[in-house]
Formats: sequence, C-alpha cells, structure tokens
Amino acid sequence: MTDSLALRNFIPPYILRRILANGSEHQRASAMNTLTHIRTLRHQPGPPVRPPSAAILLQTNQPGLAQRSVYDALGKTLLPGMPVRLEGQPASGDPAVDEAYDALGASYDFFWKVLGRNSLDNKGFALIGSVHYGQNYENAFWNGSQMVFGDGDGEIFQRFTRSLDVVGHELTHGVIESEAGLVYADQSGALNESLSDVFGVMIKQHVLGHTADQADWLIGADLLTPRINGVGLRSMAHPGTAYDDPLLGKDPQPDHMGKFVITQEDNGGVHINSGIPNRAFYLVAQALGGFAWEKAGRIWYDALCDRSLNREASFSAFAHLTLEHARKRFSAHEARAVQQGWADVGVNLTREAP
Amino acid sequence: MKTLPILDEQAVVRLSRQGGFATIQALTRPREIEFAQCNFEQRTRICTLLEGCLPLTSSSSGRGDQRFYQIELRFRTGERDDEMVLKVPEDQAPGELVLLWDKGELLQNGR
Repeated sequence: MTDSLALRNFIPPYILRRILANGSEHQRASAMNTLTHIRTLRHQPGPPVRPPSAAILLQTNQPGLAQRSVYDALGKTLLPGMPVRLEGQPASGDPAVDEAYDALGASYDFFWKVLGRNSLDNKGFALIGSVHYGQNYENAFWNGSQMVFGDGDGEIFQRFTRSLDVVGHELTHGVIESEAGLVYADQSGALNESLSDVFGVMIKQHVLGHTADQADWLIGADLLTPRINGVGLRSMAHPGTAYDDPLLGKDPQPDHMGKFVITQEDNGGVHINSGIPNRAFYLVAQALGGFAWEKAGRIWYDALCDRSLNREASFSAFAHLTLEHARKRFSAHEARAVQQGWADVGVNLTREAP
Repeated sequence: MKTLPILDEQAVVRLSRQGGFATIQALTRPREIEFAQCNFEQRTRICTLLEGCLPLTSSSSGRGDQRFYQIELRFRTGERDDEMVLKVPEDQAPGELVLLWDKGELLQNGR
C-alpha cells in the first residue's frame, strides 16, 4: 500500500461535528451551515420532501399540469445546481436538459392521464431534475426530493437522460415512497426496483404507443455505448440476457424463483432479483394483450396503493395483492392471467400477510 | 451507534462501491485489504478512517438507486470468525475512504 497527498479538501461530517463542539464562533457557524446542507442531501424514507429550490416554481395546484424544473449541476455534486428550464419555458438546446424536461412531462402525463395520479404524492409535487451531475458520473438516482442524472463516462454509459424509462424509473421511486414505502433491501427492495421498472417501461410504451406485443421491454436501451455488447441494462421479458460483455460481465438477473440470488451485495440483490417480478409483469401484460397499462399496469398500481401492502412485503405477498385487485377491478379471466404469470416465475400465491 | 471491533493482524477489510441504477459487478471494483500485509501505522490509520465512517453509516443507503460504499470487516472474536458490514452513502463518504477503495492508498500523515 502506498501513500498519497491527494484529496485533502473533503471535510466529513464527523469532523464538522467536532468543529461544532470545539471551534470558534465563526467556525461553528460555518460548520453548522455545511452540516445543515449535508442533511438536506441525505435521504429520508417516506413521502417526497419539497426542497427549497421548488420555491422558484409557480404553484398552480391545478391537477393535470406538471410543475417541472431542470437544473444544471455544472459537473459538481451540489444539488440542485443552476436553474436552466422551468415549466413552460422553451427548449434550452442542451440535450440533457431538454430530455429530462420532456421525460418528466411524459412521466407526469402517464400517471395523470392513465392512473389519475397528480404527481409523486398525488398532490402535485413539483418535479425537479438535475443534469450534468458530477464528472463522468455513471448513474441516475432519486434522493428523496428530486431526480439526478449523470452524463456517463462515454465509454460504458452515455448520458442517463437518453432513456425515457430511466427517468420514469427514478420518478416512480418517488411514487413508491409516497405509497407503500417498500424497504430497500431483499425481496421488498427488489419489488421496489421492479415496480420502478414496470412503470418506467410503461411510460416509454405510452409515449411510443406500443402494445405489450410491440414493446421491447428493455430498461436503459439507449444508455450503453456501441462498444458494449448489450441491448440495455435489464430485459423484463428475458431477465439475464440484457448484456454479456468482457468489461461488464453478464447480466445477473434471474427469471425464476428457482434462481433467486442470495447475496450481501446490492442491498440483498435489489437490482438482481427484481428480474423475477419484472418477468411476471411482462407475462401478465402479454397474456392480457393490448396496452400494458390498460389492465396489467392498472392491477399493479392498485396493489402498490393498497394500504395493506407491508413495507417489507415479499414477492408472494405482493403477488397475492395483484390477484385480489385483478378480481376486484376486472374479472376471473384477468385473475387467471395474473395467477399464471406469477406461477410461471415460481412465486407462490398461497395467502400470507401482505 | 456501532463501535468498531478490535481488528488484529488477521482482519480483512473489503471495500466496494455498491448500488446505482443497475448492478454491474465489474463496476463495484471490490478491494480487499489484509491487515497481515499492512504495517502497524497503516492498520492504525485504516482503523481511524473506519471509526470516522461509523456515524455516517445508514441503513437506507442505496435507496432510490443512490450509490454507497460497502465496508465489510472480517475478524476474529475469541475463537470464532465474525463479520461487520457498514454502508456509507456516496454523498457522505470521506475522500480518504474513496481513495482507499479507488487506489488502495492512504493520505500521507492522515491529511
């Protein structure tokens, strides 16, 4: 192991707390400001938190009208960054900004027009996205208040706003936290991830006007650079087949409970085992035909919003709720399709506490 | 709050960057540090760094596709093997932890 003189300027919170306890008045004030800022960056489970930056938006409180704002983080990691495009303003000319703006609008429209939901919290929560986050940042995430998109490194990943389903996926994390608040670990975490994929992919299908049969069922189809041997980051139709590349390795998603991955990585494999409920949804949507959001999507949404859905729900518990809602909203035909979809991926539908 | 176990020469520290929109094993770039291969000063500095990480750990690390650093400590407690896992959110991670994961290096004199 070697030593280096690099990276001296980072002041971690535990040192700031020491300054708070022992520093001068000026030092304590500065440390308190920094700590307060850091706390705003930390993610608290629960309904989305309206950040101070939302104050620059006009609050219309008019259901059906999105309130979007897109910021440029200017290659730094301080959120939200500089405001670039607010609701109603014309295209900025920056592809990342305009893709984020359009994708947030498409996502809002999907939840409003298809499911009657007014934004993340069903109360018109303002949608905030920051682009150009960090340097060559290879990720997109939801931090409890807003969506954040990196530019990718250009070698493996392109900018994360390129895939509409990715933006929809991140926005759906906010919806899930407002509803079931599924714990982000093990099976409930994989359900959380799967639901984000389910609604993310339906948002894409809605914009493209694709039926279940026409859709590609890929997540992140526009993210990988041409030099990577892969069609996307996940395949809902055939989990485990999205990529197989010397650099990235092979897509690790299982498509059946018999291949469920028990791991300490990835919070118990939340992005891995989500392949199982993803394929169940795909199978149900295919069986019911037409647009996925008309029946399968509606059933999944009803189950997500069911107050009896436990924060630590298993696949089986969620599957049981989808069966109940298929019967309640539709008929025995739809219920049979739901039952078969879950059975085909090996999820047991015997009743247990949701 | 968690406290750091006693990490002797047999301890192993495994660092990886987890989470994100997709799980791609190659991008977690796990790094294992065997204390048997480190001198006393290096072990002391790593332990100081790990102690500094303890208050930063969060059970909700990774939520919403956020990345985090996973620190796995493997050590002996009496006659048995033991393990502790710490998860530090990316936006909270000290630069020295990132450097140790990324380059396998420690800051000189802890600066």
